[in-house]
Amino acid sequence: MAPAATAAGGPAHPRVALVGPPNSGKSTLFNGLTGLRQKVANYPGVTVERRSGVVSEAVGSVEVVDLPGVHSLSPRSLDQKVTRDFLTGRMEGDRQPEAVILVLDGTRLKTHLMLADPVLGLGLPTLVVLTMADELKRRGGGVDVRLLSAELGVEVALVNARDGVSLAPVRRFLRALHTGGEEIRACPVVSASGAETAEHAQGRSLPVIDLFAERKKRARTLGRSAAFQDPRPSGITHRIDSVVLHRLWGPLVFVATIAVVFEAIFTAAVPLMDGTEALVAASGDFVARTLPESWFRSLLIDGVWAGVGSVVVFLPQILILFAFIAILEDSGYMARAAVIADRLMHRVGLQGRSFLPLLSAYACAVPAVMAARTVEDERDRIATIFVTPFMTCSARLPVYALLIAAFIPAGPLVGPLGMRAAVLMGLYALGLLAAIATAALLKGTLLKGRSNPFVMELPPYRMPSLRSIGTRLLDRTRVFLRRAGKIILTVAIVLWVLTQVPGGPSGEPPEIGDSALGRMGQVIEPAIEPLGFDWRIGIGLVTSLAAREVIVGTLGTIYGVESDDDQNFELQAALQRDLDLGSAVAMLIFFVFALQCMSTVAVMRRETGGWMWPTLQFTYMLFLAYAGAWAANALL
Amino acid sequence: MGSRRDSASKPADRTLADVPLEEEVVVVRIDVAGEDIEPLLERGIVPGCKVCPVRHSPAGGPTVYRVDGHLIALRRETASCLCVRSALEAAGVLDAN
Repeated sequence: MAPAATAAGGPAHPRVALVGPPNSGKSTLFNGLTGLRQKVANYPGVTVERRSGVVSEAVGSVEVVDLPGVHSLSPRSLDQKVTRDFLTGRMEGDRQPEAVILVLDGTRLKTHLMLADPVLGLGLPTLVVLTMADELKRRGGGVDVRLLSAELGVEVALVNARDGVSLAPVRRFLRALHTGGEEIRACPVVSASGAETAEHAQGRSLPVIDLFAERKKRARTLGRSAAFQDPRPSGITHRIDSVVLHRLWGPLVFVATIAVVFEAIFTAAVPLMDGTEALVAASGDFVARTLPESWFRSLLIDGVWAGVGSVVVFLPQILILFAFIAILEDSGYMARAAVIADRLMHRVGLQGRSFLPLLSAYACAVPAVMAARTVEDERDRIATIFVTPFMTCSARLPVYALLIAAFIPAGPLVGPLGMRAAVLMGLYALGLLAAIATAALLKGTLLKGRSNPFVMELPPYRMPSLRSIGTRLLDRTRVFLRRAGKIILTVAIVLWVLTQVPGGPSGEPPEIGDSALGRMGQVIEPAIEPLGFDWRIGIGLVTSLAAREVIVGTLGTIYGVESDDDQNFELQAALQRDLDLGSAVAMLIFFVFALQCMSTVAVMRRETGGWMWPTLQFTYMLFLAYAGAWAANALL
Repeated sequence: MGSRRDSASKPADRTLADVPLEEEVVVVRIDVAGEDIEPLLERGIVPGCKVCPVRHSPAGGPTVYRVDGHLIALRRETASCLCVRSALEAAGVLDAN
């Protein structure tokens, strides 16, 4: 088969698409084939990630595209629509693949083979890969690959996606794309229900229930012809489930898991974050010393370094969070956690799958909003995304820490619980309550509708592999840095410019109060006066739109606190002069509610496909923040 | 579904939500409208398939069912949309594997 040319021009590698249900070992196979040579982008116009990688064989290279995990090709969900459009060549700006690798879990053939007909019905050269060979054997199951191959009319390979050795048949298939070998000439046998699938895809559907019943029957027949032997239920899974889904132990394990994750992201991450901060500061100093005094140096240091640095500092925390998520997901516990959480979540209008994004949001809302993709139901997904920014992300922590230290006495409240700790916990609880109330409100109004069936698969427990976790961490880091970095960089530069204009007669930057930014603070002063804030805090609030914690640095600059040593201490003293208890609490409450994070707004726009939801969310949260702060200032 | 216990002549249909743990049943009908039915069908829960409740989750949360050897959790409200018969009864009525 001759390599086709891309739209961009020049010869491209032949392209193979990996298709398979979620949890089929598809991504493990993809990682095994491509290693770290992966590219993550988005399909044109949609938020579904397009992962691809180039596999180099002696005879030439092949581009492997890992499509989203799907159970069928009906365009019910975005993932399935993307998969179908990509496979049929209807994806705008992306050509049809030359071949398909269908990845099915070898232990679950009776269900997974239901995907065979629609995929083989495409008529593309196909290799069927059955994964989890080791598990199938260990649990006393089996399948005759040759019989299945004869039945389907295409090559079938049984592999362990985790070891390189058994990937040989897959590599042979990839090579055949260049050599035109036997493997890719085999033509799929299209069954009756495969043809019906093609019709279904075009909208001339026979009743969907019959279609799937037909496919299931065919899958069973296929399995029987291929001497498929069901594996025994996993004994270890049964034993672990009897603890983690136990009436009493289940919730305890659940709470303990959350506690461990929190402990890790708030305590264990601190030294790493301090280290990163020191690294950012040191590199900034180095650049500052190297470059001559100029506007460019100021832009680089006060704009780029300060802005981007403020995000990079959160990277260790986010990495630790992602490592936990990867372990919990790959081991199979996350599905159980979703089941445990479902009852509570369902009551407030969300569902079990919302648990993961909401947990992630305690570190940062940006990855959390992306994680909401696992919520299958569209209304539930939007509701989850909408309430995510109420969870106390770590960017609020520096602000809380500063204000609490300045205004709340250190004494004990009850027993070992200090006053300051109690206030901090109260702020976390307030955010959580706001999230719950908002979710209930949304599901009762804008996102009203029957709740979809909650169908959660519980995969058998498996030992997570280091390699898979490492690859995912790297991948998530890249995505996070690119998405967040772009916004922060832009906002940081804009803010810097606003502090520099209008310049004095000899081009020197203005005093902060006279700068464009300072004027903006004075313009909004009347609006924030009822909250007990003056124009200085106003500027802080404006700059904190970029990222909440930026306000700490901004206030430092405004109050002219330059000494590095006791910066926070002096800033506290300055704040104590300008704010009273009422306005300090007002500011805390403002930060609990307000959506001061452009990265979140940007990622929301991407994930909801427009400005409507982010605009509504920003307005709603600003309203709550203002009302809450006003009430606090008036009452205290 | 109010009439499900009326007729004495044929085996009464139960819903999956009524089935005690470890009793294997066969799905005979799925009363879920529109696209909402697809998440069930795609995962192999189709009329004629065997389902066996294996575990209740804490505090009345979703129940875990075994379907074709793997585990799927469903809420009570979803399970009550699935009409089932005991596997023994159904053996005469349906080709249930």
